[in-house]
Amino acid sequence: MDKGYIENGFIVDVSNANKTSEIIYELSNVLDLPDAQCKKVCLKLGGIDLNSSQLTSIKALVESMNSELEFISTTSEQTKESADSLGVSIKEFENKIPMPEFNAEDDTINAELEKALDKIFGDNPEELESNVFNQGYRTIETEDYLYEELEEEKTVSEDENSEVNNESEQIENIIEEEISLEDIKEYTKETEKLPTLYIQRTIRSGQSITSKGNMVIIGDVHPGSEIIAAGDITIWGILGGIAHAGSEGNKFAKIRALKMNAIQLRIADVFARRPDNINIPYIQKTDTFVPEEASVRKKQIIIRKIHEGVNI
Amino acid sequence: MIETETFTQTKKTKGEIMSGRVIVITSGKGGVGKTTTNANIGTALAKAGKKVVMIDTDLGLRNLDLLLGLENRIVYTIVDVVEERCKLKQALVKDKKNPNLCLLAAAQTRDKSAVTQEQLKDICKKLQKDFDYVLVDCPAGIEQGFQNAVAGATEAIIVTTPEMSAVRDADRIIGLLESKEEIQSYKLLLNRVRPNLVKSNDMMSVDDVVEILSAELIGIIPEDTGIITSTNKGEPIVNDEKSLAGRAYHNVAKRIMGEEIPFMNLEEETSVVAKVKKFFSGLVGKEKK
Repeated sequence: MDKGYIENGFIVDVSNANKTSEIIYELSNVLDLPDAQCKKVCLKLGGIDLNSSQLTSIKALVESMNSELEFISTTSEQTKESADSLGVSIKEFENKIPMPEFNAEDDTINAELEKALDKIFGDNPEELESNVFNQGYRTIETEDYLYEELEEEKTVSEDENSEVNNESEQIENIIEEEISLEDIKEYTKETEKLPTLYIQRTIRSGQSITSKGNMVIIGDVHPGSEIIAAGDITIWGILGGIAHAGSEGNKFAKIRALKMNAIQLRIADVFARRPDNINIPYIQKTDTFVPEEASVRKKQIIIRKIHEGVNI
Repeated sequence: MIETETFTQTKKTKGEIMSGRVIVITSGKGGVGKTTTNANIGTALAKAGKKVVMIDTDLGLRNLDLLLGLENRIVYTIVDVVEERCKLKQALVKDKKNPNLCLLAAAQTRDKSAVTQEQLKDICKKLQKDFDYVLVDCPAGIEQGFQNAVAGATEAIIVTTPEMSAVRDADRIIGLLESKEEIQSYKLLLNRVRPNLVKSNDMMSVDDVVEILSAELIGIIPEDTGIITSTNKGEPIVNDEKSLAGRAYHNVAKRIMGEEIPFMNLEEETSVVAKVKKFFSGLVGKEKK
């Protein structure tokens, strides 16, 4: 049977009832709920025959509970007659849920996008800072490792690659400066084309998932696990392990999670680690989560709350 | 190559090539405190100015990084080194406080078969050149993980607790170590000793354990609740000067370095608290009577 939909009200289906007392019992139970106060009530009566006095008592009951009998739906002739005499309207349920229409033109979307880009990559970082919420995540630097002891090997490699290094640095700088609308658009297009791995379970310590496309995980990602994807990573849960988005070099890749508690975040070749002073043994799952998104800006990983920032 | 092999037998060399000692910390039984011991001895040695590297060979169940609070810094692991995705020194994570201390982490997403005995031997040999001490954290059990960990070592510390099951497993481990030619010496570390229980004959005494295992003792570590908090914080207990267990670990480190330190008398150490407790319990007892 069609369930139907009604705005700012609810439907009570009593078509299975045999007696009027059953209808009244069912109705009083429903109307007693705190959510039901002051809302419109629609009755689904099906083929039940009701005379005008029975319908009057039902209407009185609904009104006594601070609600309003909006309309009824019935197939019985007798019920229709008594409804007419009492002035209760009869309607069939619409089974369509109204959807917001979206018909903005390309130009308006582009303008919005441009504004958003300005906010993220533009020259006024003040506005940005309020949206950035990087939890003190720190880019992993060479000082953490024993690079300086590699002196011998280093010097050799530097001699060979010094020119190449300079060139690649220059190219990187150019990329940093000129992030255009086209780049983002292209990236979005490309990511959309990638296959997406959809996983619906908890990822536990020691488990590793690698994908050449995007990844969507419905569940928590526990510390000690790692997730590597060439595209974006979206986690509908708490991210506690290591996540590496854009593993094949895509700097526009993003990591999204309901809660970022990752030990390390990696996007393309930028790595960031959780600050030492944050020690969260576990997160209460009853907490309200604000979805967060990690992306790369100026060779650093930033995390912002999705609803605060501008979402691209 | 022949030269370096002879150097491994001597404790310190005056020549140009530095040759450190490779010590494996093992137990057989799980949960007796191998990893805690490793983290603390390593930190204590580094505090004494030695260059120390710790290798976690517990692939798939790594914990040493957690105890040191270095989990968030690990990018490359021992498996990456073995599979030549990075150079050995790129994988060495420096300690937060002590630059003398380094960690070579285990891979969490692989199992013990990802590294072979020969590969571990090779890594130990390379690290010996640059470090005074190479501490190898061994996984529980006597299977491949144990064999790997022991492969590169020349000395061993067997951690045990004064419980029959742990002592029995330690006995088995000593037997296995004795059959290995590379291991030149092994010593016993008795962990989680509770003087009160020993006194009331509810726990095996230090002498009992030494007698059963007939092995040389290198340290006695008292049970300390501070270990739990230090583990959770990711900071070895030797950084806490007041802690009894921390001091005991410092003593172990000094003994490893060749100093002669008398064993801590645990009964005396706790005497102040114990006396007060006794005094009060005596009072309460009298009143009740």
